[in-house]
Amino acid sequence: MIELATPADTHAFGRGLGELLRAGDLLVLTGPLGAGKTALTQGIGAGLGVRGPVVSPTFVIARVHRGGRLPLVHVDAYRLGSLDEVDDLDLDIEVTDSVTVVEWGAGLVDRLSESRLEVSISRREDTEVRQVLLKPVGGDWAERLAAL
Amino acid sequence: MSPMASEALVLGIETSCDETGIGIVRGSTLLADAVASSVAEHARYGGVVPEVASRAHLQAMVPTVHRACEQAGVQLSDVDAIAVTAGPGLAGALLVGVAAAKAYALALDKPLYGVNHLSAHVSVDLLENGPLEEACVALLVSGGHSSILRVPRVGGLELTELGATLDDAAGEAFDKVARLLGLGFPGGPLIDRAARDGDPASIAFPRGLSGASDPAFAFSFSGLKTAVARWVEARQRAGEPVPVNDVAASFQEAVVDVLTIKAVRAAREQGVDHLLLGGGVAANSRLRELAAERCAREGIRLRVPRPGLCTDNGAMVAALGAQLVQHGAPPSALDIPADSSMPIADVLM
Repeated sequence: MIELATPADTHAFGRGLGELLRAGDLLVLTGPLGAGKTALTQGIGAGLGVRGPVVSPTFVIARVHRGGRLPLVHVDAYRLGSLDEVDDLDLDIEVTDSVTVVEWGAGLVDRLSESRLEVSISRREDTEVRQVLLKPVGGDWAERLAAL
Repeated sequence: MSPMASEALVLGIETSCDETGIGIVRGSTLLADAVASSVAEHARYGGVVPEVASRAHLQAMVPTVHRACEQAGVQLSDVDAIAVTAGPGLAGALLVGVAAAKAYALALDKPLYGVNHLSAHVSVDLLENGPLEEACVALLVSGGHSSILRVPRVGGLELTELGATLDDAAGEAFDKVARLLGLGFPGGPLIDRAARDGDPASIAFPRGLSGASDPAFAFSFSGLKTAVARWVEARQRAGEPVPVNDVAASFQEAVVDVLTIKAVRAAREQGVDHLLLGGGVAANSRLRELAAERCAREGIRLRVPRPGLCTDNGAMVAALGAQLVQHGAPPSALDIPADSSMPIADVLM
């Protein structure tokens, strides 16, 4: 369990995470409204060095941010039936060539089988503090996270 | 087309989200505004579902075009050009409109104009308030965007973004807070209604990015959303009832306070006499009221279309198309794509 005291800490943590990501990585973010999923993704974007503002993808479901070490695909999966539907969005990018960050409603993660990093964020009652839990699934996530 | 020629008759097609909008405009005169909405089909999901929207557009397209022609009393063969929203929006939804527009343009042998949805939201003002022969500042607020723009000419090919949201769009904040309060979807009109019976001063929610050192024309609504969530949760934990109307009113006040302060400040700094409101959130009654108040105080003329033209519609696309035709803008190629993240500064594809 990692505790992040301020939004700046969330951003810095995301940046550190972004720096160790590789092409084809999938990150699944869960947490309640206002937990800081988008703030964390902004940090990841900074770590990858992508261009442009990483803003909420809710309206368009997914945004692609280029211009960095790797492209960042930022998905709000709240209204998608499955992650396969990301392909249907015609993003003009291969997930194997980019880093995909999915903001996901809790409970749907089980349907995913591939290697992924699950990041759950929660707000501690009545404080600005965010608690982050990282759960590596498959791949070599565990070794890579040791560097964080 | 020379300025002396008769005004352009343009068919506009809008399918960027959940409304299939077909408008017909002659110059800056609205002849028809037909909208088929699939919003009821999305309500149970709490948001627009891309696949559902695309299918609904496909079903509604031809009947809605016919309805618009009947309303306007014109034949499809009478139109001078076809304008369509090429982006930004939901990729699959945009694609249906763009494909239909290409088919009409090809079949009728008329020029095609693939236009920017956001610029269309700004241009619709011409239909309501007539031509504006000078630069203005526009506050564009919708479910997907919140921006302050400098617009040298409404319906022109240029506009400059002075600032935008750094996280959530204003309309998105309305949707998310409505969900939090159990009001349903879409959140804008539901919060607006609940807020009428609430006290906007009862809870002091934060005004994002309103400090002296913050970017003057940028917005942030994510912190506000979190503050509302925390306030509601604290109430629920204490076993107290949540005063939904007061929360709605106080939240709404926080949003429209920041929007109007920054928009009016931008108009003043840019030295323009007119502030224009556009986008779905511009239908919000409190935003319209507060903008009118603050513009009056600063001696700025407020231009805001009626609520029905603020939300997505085809008339706005036709209005922009007619301006482009009349100013001799080059038509789009017939192989233009739909661009879900079309940059705001690209008015025409």
